[in-house]
Amino acid sequence: MTNAGTRGTSEMNKLFAFVRRDVLVLLSYRLAFLADIANLAFQSVTFYFVSLMVNPAAMPEYGGTTATYMAFVGIGIAFGAFMQIGLGRVVSAIRNEQVLGTLESLFMTPTRPLTLQVGLVVYDLIYVPIRTGIFLGIVMGVFGVRFDPGAVAPALAVLFLFIPMVWGLGMLGAGAVLTFRRGGGIVGFVGAAVSVASGAYFPLDLLPERLAAILSLSPVAVAFDAARRTLIGGEGWAEISGGLIYLAASAIVSLAIGLWAVRAAILRERRMGTLSHY
Amino acid sequence: MIEALGVSRAFGPKEVVSGLDLKVPGGTIHALLGPNGAGKTTVLRMLAGLTSPTGGTVRVLDGDPVTREIRARIGWIPSGDRSFYLRLSGRENLVFFARLYGMSLRTARERSDELLEKVDLVEAARQPARLYSHGMQKRLVIARGLLTDPPVLIVDEATHDLDPTSAQNVRSLVTEASSTGAAVVWATQRLEEIRSFAHDVTVLGRGDVRFSGGVDKLVKRALNRTYEIQLVNGFAPLPLIESNLVGLAELSAHPFYSDRFLLHLGSGTALSDVFQGIERAGAKVHSCAEARSDIEEAFLHLTAEDNDD
Repeated sequence: MTNAGTRGTSEMNKLFAFVRRDVLVLLSYRLAFLADIANLAFQSVTFYFVSLMVNPAAMPEYGGTTATYMAFVGIGIAFGAFMQIGLGRVVSAIRNEQVLGTLESLFMTPTRPLTLQVGLVVYDLIYVPIRTGIFLGIVMGVFGVRFDPGAVAPALAVLFLFIPMVWGLGMLGAGAVLTFRRGGGIVGFVGAAVSVASGAYFPLDLLPERLAAILSLSPVAVAFDAARRTLIGGEGWAEISGGLIYLAASAIVSLAIGLWAVRAAILRERRMGTLSHY
Repeated sequence: MIEALGVSRAFGPKEVVSGLDLKVPGGTIHALLGPNGAGKTTVLRMLAGLTSPTGGTVRVLDGDPVTREIRARIGWIPSGDRSFYLRLSGRENLVFFARLYGMSLRTARERSDELLEKVDLVEAARQPARLYSHGMQKRLVIARGLLTDPPVLIVDEATHDLDPTSAQNVRSLVTEASSTGAAVVWATQRLEEIRSFAHDVTVLGRGDVRFSGGVDKLVKRALNRTYEIQLVNGFAPLPLIESNLVGLAELSAHPFYSDRFLLHLGSGTALSDVFQGIERAGAKVHSCAEARSDIEEAFLHLTAEDNDD
């Protein structure tokens, strides 16, 4: 195996170490997993009752199919969960390490900064898809929502581009936390605002026309829209290709800015000697 | 192995380390000695690559300690308790960090068990780290620092707050690492521990180097000690008192206190004889106390102005 290959394997093993660490921490909280699943069930029930109050005529059409509110919001919540990892968890994980006092010890190991960033949330990257699957299972099994089976691959492609896009924003937030220590609150606010303003819970068409037009340009809104068009409307690769290209470009820009922000923050912390401060 | 040349570090307008030169070859223990705020931790952090110097250069193992390749070979033992996952056991903490140093799960477990035995934490190995006492957490930090058998050990106040037996165990582990070729930098405020433990010492005071050299050399710089006395009715001139002490003891001015003297007893002289000699000269002894240990005296002398504040 080449040196690069050995390093790659070694960095991959480190990711397994992070997963193992987080599973052990989770097991130490015993009821946390069950509480989370119960929370998902309650969330589904809540949105079911909200859906009963929603006027079906107010719901948008995708590929000629009028969306039910449960299907609409189910996709919003599923994608929103990934946004929470990318935006919220990357930031809060670094903050947690700072507060625990372990961040400096992590930086003293010969681990790449990117591996550290991924490692801190790799457990979520595994757990959240499972959690999302459980959520969608409840939505489909209990509340009768149907998604187009042929849309799974295009929807996963949307997700595949959506995650690095929000990840880049999360890294930008992580850079802010490393620098300002209290950036987490701002990132949380931005995350919530982006969720609401991108149509996770209601169609953007309900907003004033000009505002809706502006917000629909947000990459997050584009991702939500593309996922709904394929999962609800059954649209294929050709129909959502514009959205995929837009998301890919956004992901490249976002990742570039995020990587720069974290690198600059780490260099600054070394220069200032404040890596362990919190 | 460790080399610092003209290293300075400023935080804003305040320079906390200034013009530090340090060379620590493999197989030696170099103590960094100084009171609180002397700049010891800042020096260690620069040697570990965690803080960049604002002046001068730091080289560790012929490389820049900021790089991952060099960091992989530095054992970092920070001060303070907060550097572990409190929900995980001591063993699992070690296993996790060992894997970040590139070990397989199996090797990480074996190495962790080995070190837990060395730092006497076998019985507590499976307890969550949050249940560890301060001393136990400290020993766990030491174990983590030794995970890779590093050729460089940077140790910050490792024995602070430890009971004498635990402190001795920690020093033994570090001595063992040094005897197998590791270069060790050991920051401490515990003066007594550097004698017969460290080979060289740098005394820092407000970031300035006050002394650098062998520990024996530091001790030699100490004042010859015996007793510190305070006189009353001290109108008697010093030469008159001294003339009454010929053959018994020597009296000299105290380096820091104008109303006290240092009394160096001659061999076989009883204190009562000296007191009588002083009284014959027209003065009386108000107080008499055994002077500090030579190494402590040297340290206080070198950092006197810092402690006066």
